[in-house]
Amino acid sequence: MTSDDSKGKLFVRHVTKQFDIENPEQGLAIKDVNFTVQPNEFLTIVGRSGCGKSTMLNIIAGLLNPTEGEVLIHGKRVTKPGLDRGMVFQTASLFPWLRAIENIEFGPRNIGMPKDERRSLAMDLIKLVGLEGFENKYPRELSGGMQQRVAIARAMAMDPEILLMDEPFGSLDQLTREDMQRELLRIWETRKKTVIFVTHSILEAIYLSDRILVFCPHPGTVRKEFIIDLPRPRQKSSTEYMGYYEEIYANIS
Amino acid sequence: MDATITGLEESKKGFQLSDRWIQIITTVAIIGLWELLSRTGLIKPVHLPSPTRVLSTFIYITREGYPQDITIFKHIKATVWRIIQGYLLATATAIPLGLLIGSHFLLERAANPVITFARSIATISLLPLAIAWFGVGELSSILLIMYGAFWAILTNTIQGVKQVDVNFINVGRMFGATRRHIFFRVVLPSTLPRIFSGMKIGLGVSFMVIIAAEMVGTVKGLGALIQQSRLYYRTDITIVGMIFIGIFGLIISIGLDRLERVMLPWAIGLEEVKR
Amino acid sequence: MNHRRFRHALWASWLGFISLIALWEIIAALQLLDSQVFPGPVAVIEAAIKNVPLKRLLEHIGISLLRVIMGFSLGAAVGITVGIVSGWYSKLGNVLRTPIEILRPIPPLAWIPLAIIWLGLGESSKVMIIFLGSFFPIFTNTFKGMVTIEPNIIRVAQTLGVQKNKLLFKVIFPATLPDIATGFRVGWSYSFGLVVAAELIAASRGLGYMIMHARELNMIAVIMYGVILIGTINLVTDYLIQEVILKRKLKWHYLATAY
Repeated sequence: MTSDDSKGKLFVRHVTKQFDIENPEQGLAIKDVNFTVQPNEFLTIVGRSGCGKSTMLNIIAGLLNPTEGEVLIHGKRVTKPGLDRGMVFQTASLFPWLRAIENIEFGPRNIGMPKDERRSLAMDLIKLVGLEGFENKYPRELSGGMQQRVAIARAMAMDPEILLMDEPFGSLDQLTREDMQRELLRIWETRKKTVIFVTHSILEAIYLSDRILVFCPHPGTVRKEFIIDLPRPRQKSSTEYMGYYEEIYANIS
Repeated sequence: MDATITGLEESKKGFQLSDRWIQIITTVAIIGLWELLSRTGLIKPVHLPSPTRVLSTFIYITREGYPQDITIFKHIKATVWRIIQGYLLATATAIPLGLLIGSHFLLERAANPVITFARSIATISLLPLAIAWFGVGELSSILLIMYGAFWAILTNTIQGVKQVDVNFINVGRMFGATRRHIFFRVVLPSTLPRIFSGMKIGLGVSFMVIIAAEMVGTVKGLGALIQQSRLYYRTDITIVGMIFIGIFGLIISIGLDRLERVMLPWAIGLEEVKR
Repeated sequence: MNHRRFRHALWASWLGFISLIALWEIIAALQLLDSQVFPGPVAVIEAAIKNVPLKRLLEHIGISLLRVIMGFSLGAAVGITVGIVSGWYSKLGNVLRTPIEILRPIPPLAWIPLAIIWLGLGESSKVMIIFLGSFFPIFTNTFKGMVTIEPNIIRVAQTLGVQKNKLLFKVIFPATLPDIATGFRVGWSYSFGLVVAAELIAASRGLGYMIMHARELNMIAVIMYGVILIGTINLVTDYLIQEVILKRKLKWHYLATAY
C-alpha cells in the first residue's frame, strides 16, 4: 500500500474473520469491514451483542488475526499486539496479586524501566485517573468503577497512540457508568489519544464519540457511519442528542 | 420448636454468643453424662474409660510414655517427621510437573488417563506393595505419603494452570511480554491459590495415610500408638491417642488456613467471585 | 493451530495410557529387577488367575462392596437426617453439631482400634468405619445445603400458600439435593479407600485382606493385581454414580450450572 498512510491513521481494509467452529455459518464473525480512524479521534463501534464488534477490536489489538484483509497502522500491517495500542477489557482484568500501582507498573516493568522512574510514572497516572490514596490497594478492595480506572491507567502506562476499549463500563451500575464516561472524556482531553471504543449502548456512544460506526451482525459489517457534530459536554436531553439516538437506533436493525 | 424460616436464617448467620453457651453446655453435659455412666458401671472401662481416667492417662502419656518410654512427643515427632519428608518430596515433584503439564494441551491430554487412574488407586492399598519392596520401615511410609500427596497437588496445579483467565494472558500480550515473562509474571501468580489448595488437600491426605500406615508394623508414631494400645486393651491410651490425632489434624488445617491468609492476602474471596 | 482436529485429542489420551502399560511391560521384561519383585502386566494377570480363583475373587470383592454399601447407607441415612434437622431447627442443630464438630478432626481410620474394641474383628467394625467416613461429608454438605438455600425460593413458596411441613418436603429438600449429591460423591470415594485400609489392618476377608495376605506369601504379582483392581472398581463406581445416577436425577441442576 502507499506510504501516505502514515501520520497516525489506522486503516481497516476488507477485514474478514472466520472462526473455525463446527458450523461455518455461525463462525463468520465479520465480513469485509472497511473504515479509517483519524489520529486523536474518539471513534465508537456500536451494535447488538454478537455483532462482531469485540472481534473487530481484538483484531485491531493484534490478539486475533484476520482471515482476510488487513489492519494498517503507519503503513504497517498489524499482526500481533504492540505497545502502540493499549487495551481496556470489559472486566477490568487487573492482576489480583498486584496492588493498583503495581498493576499500572506492569508494562514499564516488563521493558525494564528502573524502579523510581516507573513508580513516578505510575503515580502520575494514578493522579490522572483520580485515585490518589488508593494506589496501594489490591483490586479486590476496589469498586468496579475504581478498578476500571486502574485498568485505564495501566493501559496508558506505555503511552500508546491508540486506546482500545471493549465495553469497559458494561458491568458497572448506571450512576457509576455515567461518572466514568465523564472521567474518560476528561482523561482523553488531557492526554489526547486515539480511542476506539466498543459498546452496545447508543446513548453512551453519542455522549462520548466524534464518530460512530454502526455494526450489524451475521456477519458483522459496518452498516452506517454517524458523525456527532455536537460540542462537549453533551446534554443527554437535548433534541439533537435524541435525534441522533433515533437515527442510530433505527439503523441497529 | 422454631420450625420456621427463621430457623434456617439463624443457622446461616453462623455462631453467635448465645450459641457459644449452648456449645459449652452441651459439651459439659456430654462429658458429665459420660462420667456418670462410667461410675455407675453402665459403660465398661475396657470399652470407654471415664473422662477422669482419660485425663490422668493424658498426663501419664506425656510424662512416662507408652509403650516403654516412648512419650507422646516421641510419637508425634515420628509421625511428623515422616509426613514432612513424604510431603516435601511430593510438593517438589508435583508442582513443577503440574505447571509443565498444565501448560501444554497435548501433554495434559496424554497424562490425563494416567493421572485419573493413579488417583483412583487407594493410596493405602499400596502399603503391602511398599512393604514387600522396601520392608517395614521409614521408607515405605514416606513413599506412601508421597504418593498420596503427589496426585492431589498435581491435579490442582494442572487445573490451576488450565484455568488461568485468558484475559490476564491477553493483558500480558498487549504489553508485548514474551512467553517466558507471561509464564512467570502472569500464569504463575494466577495459579498460586489453586496450588495452595492442592497443598492443603495433599497434607490432609498425607496425614490420613500415615496414621493408617503406622497401624501396620510400626512401633513409634501416633497410628502405632493407638494400634498397640488396642492389642493390650489399654482403651484409655487409645482414646488419648485419638484425641492427640484429632488435635494434630486440627492444627494442620487451621495452620494452613492462617498461612494462606498471610501468603496470599489478595486471594481471599477470589473463588467465590469467580463463580 | 487447527482446533478442530485437536479439540478433544482423544488419541493423545489413549496414547498416554497405552504408553504407560507398554513402559511397564518393558521395564519388567528388561529384568533389571527379579521378575518376582517387579512383574510385568502379563505376569500379573497370569499370577492372579493362577492364585486367586474367580470364586474367591468375587467373594473378596463382594464382601468389600457389601461393607461399603452398608456403612455408606447408614452414614447417608443418619447424615441426611441430622443435616436436615440441624438446619431446620437451629437451636437443636447447635446442640447436635457440637459433638459432631468435636469428633470431626479425628480421621475415620483412627477409629479402627476403638471400633475393634467395641465391635470385635467382624463386619460391624468395618461398617462403623465406613459409616464414619461417609457420615461427615454427607452431614456437612446436607447442612450447608440447608443453610444456603436462596431465601427467595422459600418466600415464593410461602406466598403460594405452602405450609410448614410441606415446605420442608416439597421445597427445601429438593433444593438441598445437589449438595447432598456432592456429599454422596465425596463420601463414596472416601468410603472405598477406607474399606480397603480397614481390611488391610484387621480383616480376614475382602480386597484389603487379599492384598495383605498376598504380601505375607510374598506374591507381589497378586498384590499388584489387587491394587489395580481396587483402582478400577473405584473408577467404575464413581463413574456410575456421577454419570448415571446424578446426572439423570439431577438434570435440572447440572443443566443450569454447566456452560
